[in-house]
Amino acid sequence: MAAPAASHGVSVEVNGEQVELEVPARRLLVHFLRDDLGLTGTHVGCDTGNCGACTVHLNGEPVKSCMLLAVQADGARIATVEGLAADGELTPLQRSFNEHHALQCGYCTPGMLMSATALLERIPRPSEEEVRLALQGNICRCTGYVNIVEAVVAAGGAA
Amino acid sequence: MLLREVEYARPATVEEAVSLLGSYEGARALAGGQTLVNVMKARAAAPDVLVDLADLEDLRTIGFSADGLLEIGAMVTYTQLVGSSEVEVARPILAEVAATIADVQVRNRGTVGGNVCVADPTNHLPPLLLALDATFTIRGSDAERTVSADEFFVGVYMTAVGEGELLTKVSVPPSSGAGDGFAGLTIGKHGTYVANAAATVSQEGVRIALGCVDAVPVRASSMEERLAGGDFSDDAVQGAAEGLGASLDPPSDAHGSGDFRRHLAEVAAARAVLQAASRRKAA
Amino acid sequence: MTTVTEQPARTLEKGYVGRSIPRKEDKRLVQGLGTFFDDVRRHGMGYVHFVRSPYAHAKIVSIDVSRALELDGVYGTITGDEVAISTDPFFEMSVEPGGNIKDYALAVGRVRHMGEPVAAVCAATRELARDAAELVEVSYDPLPVLVEAEESLKDEVVLHDDAGSNVVWSGVFEWGDVDQALAEADHVIRIERLHFNRFSSTPLECAGALVEYDRGTGEWTLHCNHQMPGVGAIWMAPSLRVGIDKLRFVTQDIGGAFGNKICLHPQYVVLCLLARKLGRPVQWTEWRTDQHTANAHGNERTFLDVEVAVKADGEMTGFKVRALDDCGAFPRYEPLGCIIWAQVTPGMYGWRNIRVDFTQVCTNKSPVSPNRGYSRMQHLWLTERIVDIVAAELGLDPVEVRKKNYVKAEQMPYETPNGCVYDSGDYAAALDLVLDLIDHGSIEERRQEAASRGKLLGFGIGSTLDSGTNNFGQSTLLNPDLQFSGNNEAASVKLDIFGEVVVTLGTVPQGQGHETTAAQVVADILGCSPDQVNVRRGHDTWFNSHAGFSGTYASQFAFTGLGAVKGAAELLREEMVQLAAAVLQAPVEAIELSDGMARIKDGPEEAALPFMALGAIVNANNAFLPPDFNPTLNHRYVCRPYFGMVDTEKKTGQLTLTYATQIHAAVVEVDPDTGEVEIVDYAAVDDCGVRINPQIVEGQVHGATAHAIGAALSEEFVYDEEGTLLTSNFYDYHVPHAMDMPPLKTGAMESPSPVAPLGAKGMGEGGGGGIHCICAAIQDALATVGKPIVATSCNPPHRVWAMLRDPESSRAGVAVVSK
Repeated sequence: MAAPAASHGVSVEVNGEQVELEVPARRLLVHFLRDDLGLTGTHVGCDTGNCGACTVHLNGEPVKSCMLLAVQADGARIATVEGLAADGELTPLQRSFNEHHALQCGYCTPGMLMSATALLERIPRPSEEEVRLALQGNICRCTGYVNIVEAVVAAGGAA
Repeated sequence: MLLREVEYARPATVEEAVSLLGSYEGARALAGGQTLVNVMKARAAAPDVLVDLADLEDLRTIGFSADGLLEIGAMVTYTQLVGSSEVEVARPILAEVAATIADVQVRNRGTVGGNVCVADPTNHLPPLLLALDATFTIRGSDAERTVSADEFFVGVYMTAVGEGELLTKVSVPPSSGAGDGFAGLTIGKHGTYVANAAATVSQEGVRIALGCVDAVPVRASSMEERLAGGDFSDDAVQGAAEGLGASLDPPSDAHGSGDFRRHLAEVAAARAVLQAASRRKAA
Repeated sequence: MTTVTEQPARTLEKGYVGRSIPRKEDKRLVQGLGTFFDDVRRHGMGYVHFVRSPYAHAKIVSIDVSRALELDGVYGTITGDEVAISTDPFFEMSVEPGGNIKDYALAVGRVRHMGEPVAAVCAATRELARDAAELVEVSYDPLPVLVEAEESLKDEVVLHDDAGSNVVWSGVFEWGDVDQALAEADHVIRIERLHFNRFSSTPLECAGALVEYDRGTGEWTLHCNHQMPGVGAIWMAPSLRVGIDKLRFVTQDIGGAFGNKICLHPQYVVLCLLARKLGRPVQWTEWRTDQHTANAHGNERTFLDVEVAVKADGEMTGFKVRALDDCGAFPRYEPLGCIIWAQVTPGMYGWRNIRVDFTQVCTNKSPVSPNRGYSRMQHLWLTERIVDIVAAELGLDPVEVRKKNYVKAEQMPYETPNGCVYDSGDYAAALDLVLDLIDHGSIEERRQEAASRGKLLGFGIGSTLDSGTNNFGQSTLLNPDLQFSGNNEAASVKLDIFGEVVVTLGTVPQGQGHETTAAQVVADILGCSPDQVNVRRGHDTWFNSHAGFSGTYASQFAFTGLGAVKGAAELLREEMVQLAAAVLQAPVEAIELSDGMARIKDGPEEAALPFMALGAIVNANNAFLPPDFNPTLNHRYVCRPYFGMVDTEKKTGQLTLTYATQIHAAVVEVDPDTGEVEIVDYAAVDDCGVRINPQIVEGQVHGATAHAIGAALSEEFVYDEEGTLLTSNFYDYHVPHAMDMPPLKTGAMESPSPVAPLGAKGMGEGGGGGIHCICAAIQDALATVGKPIVATSCNPPHRVWAMLRDPESSRAGVAVVSK
């Protein structure tokens, strides 16, 4: 990609599978995932990168896919919510969300799960404060965060 | 929410990047994208060419110059700053402040270079770096130059980095016993600042820089002079802050009037100085 | 973290109702396998982008779409002129002159708020539609802008020529004799002005739809997130000049609504027209900026010239007020808000003499929509402000004033001055529970401790009612010619050939867990487990399980939604028992349903039929059934709550059926230098009668609390004089994030409703308790620094600082006249 071009071929690993596609340079990563790859679990909730509904992992780190261009992901490893449950087997975190009623409408949930999964990889038994800090970039309008924080702490076993 | 058509390039070296920036009139450097991509989504700006700095490893380092200056590459992310042992040892206030920028996702992508080059009056790093007397290294096609913080911040969204140029690093003097402070009012926890101030107290005296109140970060020179005597008691500092607001002409918006910001500037400046003074170590 | 204190009014029987079983919805949602409308694709679909007005008020001089049409990939456009020809204006609910307003799907001739859609473009991709929208050339002649309701009232600039006035509706409500109460009062407290700020619950998923048109049948299918399709169809069908059955609404998963997805009919009509005109499916996704600027705000209300009558012993005998409501550029669901507040006319209190002089006006701001707590929240805020201001001015304890004036448990069911009936509740006991949770006894000690750190500590209570299950007849109190009364909701329950129990709801869940709670109710009635009950996701006109008022709104699911489910399940049960009796050759009374089987009570093991057997008989093997016995095992039930008629003369009647109680308390610390308010302790007690699923109820309390905290401390739609919305995205319109939430303690009580089918009251909205208690806490915190009066519902730092800097100004509008 040394020379400027309005579209590029990108090669990305998404949830463990290699994807090769030609994309317009202006396409946001979130739209690439949703519209080009049909991975609609990642959501759009705002225009300004505040809400975090679009959170995915880029090379293992949580990022907001609405503030990345698809072309920037060339050569990278992306993980989305669809990649969490292997063969439909929910992760302990996903089960904890269910047990603790940590979702109502479910729209912020994929983003929350991606942020929380990244946290638990970094800090296996986080405190409540650490969980809130890790989820500060994920807005929820239904739950008031109470049960979400409880669910993440419980999944970490620190409760 | 949807960008205009744009061309994208990802150069492998700083030289290539500078060359691309110089070759296309509407070219912009893309660092973390945590501001630029939003601006393009709103269609408030529409560069013709985006030059992605992601592969420029030279700009991602944190280290020390021969004179002991802490050198931070322009592409260093806030997360890197927060986790850096060099920063922890040399000038921890940088990590402390960076840790409060927005959220984890933004910190994983947002860069020091982006924060200063965007030059949004409410950004965290411009007043902090002005107080710390940082310098900024700018690479052009044929030369490299280093400018002071006063020279770097030119206006709202405007810096000394010209067309065809690239900020490569920010250099910060090590604390050497100085105490640093940062205070202000944000919209929600870790939100955007309504008013802020950064301060350094060292044997050279006091440096106080205010953000959010003008197009660029400004030094509170009169307040610095009043504190030259070295008395950092509560009363002395509050007293020195009085009248600071009257010298300012801050904007009014949904979060407060100009008057409110004048008042907040005094409060933030006093709190930053008190924090800095309390952290100062004997030389 | 959270503690739950339970004081159930009845012992839990065996069964699923009353248990916090984990939700069925979660499995798909935690895997990102939910289907929200933007996830739906159709071959050949076009994407729509609206061209929106940059002016708050202007004449449209011309629109030129030619450059947009030239762009490769653009499928077509539509403008207001076309809309005015091919549709009729939407049905208006008000009387003249407000009822003469003409509201079309796109601006016709004039724009009346910034962001109002003027034209729409459809193209092959989202980005192209956006590009094409920029190529549409619209020229405007700006007109003077009205952003203040009090200005608008003067009618110097009129927004709707067809109405000739900006007044959408006005009327006086009067019960008892407030003038006499004021004359006899020992104290009269006057409050010149209180203002409930404009905000909304801003669901994370924005509005939108994918609309398909079938040219053969003339039917549209809308894959959408409209939360009240029954009413949506009533608006849209006549406008499109088609029968109501030509509109099929399909909702699946919805990312929150909170009332913001009720007035989507204008945009949806545009999509219907485009789908028909272009001969392809068309899709529109609202962006966040559009939602804030041009979809649905909550009602903004100013309360003027409040006068309160108080006896020497602290009994409040009455109040009067002039209420001025600002509904933005178009009424749409309004003026219903002009009466809905009357469901809670006296708030929680026993005063009998009340006058409300209510006027609603248009301004050049976003139209409003019934935002969570719709109209009652604003009124309850008024009553709570009154109580706290009265207490502060007379030197009384706000806890004691409340206890003295609360409607008492012994008075339940209690008829209010305007004929509403509070079905059950024990407000004093709920308040005691809250005080206990928040350790009220330690407040003064905590105040001292905070002062030693330079902070001003304050304590406040917010008591609120969540009135549920609306009587649409209340609309006739606004306009006697309206043909609306009562309420209804439908559901169907069937037993399939393989013994599967399938439920379809008329409601439109957006996170309330309807699939789960409905399954719990059905499971108990049919004697099976909720896992064996399949509740179909969402709402579909073609489920034929809906009625005229179907939707999820007005805190009524537990009554009407579950009432319909209960009714249908009971009909099914009755048939299953009869069928089992016929097959097992036993009397009907001897049959019981349990563990997924129909069996003879205490009979031999073989005398049992699995559900599958019953289903198979009716569907595929029914020849042996006697001719006079024709079970269908497929029942649709309409729950019709009974209200009686309203009296349009006296403006009385049963406007709603259930009243859940929520009492909130907050402890705040104010930074006297910056005006920043931090909530350091918080408690909320909810009493919604029988809780079908306590965990789900508690989740609603958490969510309502978060909405209230946001509204109290930072969420405000702020306009400048040009009608520009300054808080159009989440940077400036700050909603609570995880670190902004205080530690939250919740408690629960259950005062079953004597009128609800399951004893369960609706409770999702909450009534804004958090707003009321935070305002009270701030006022309490500042009491020692000049006793300013908190006169606005939203108090971000700059407003608190204004009170700190000049408490006298804020007190200027308050006067006490004592005998």
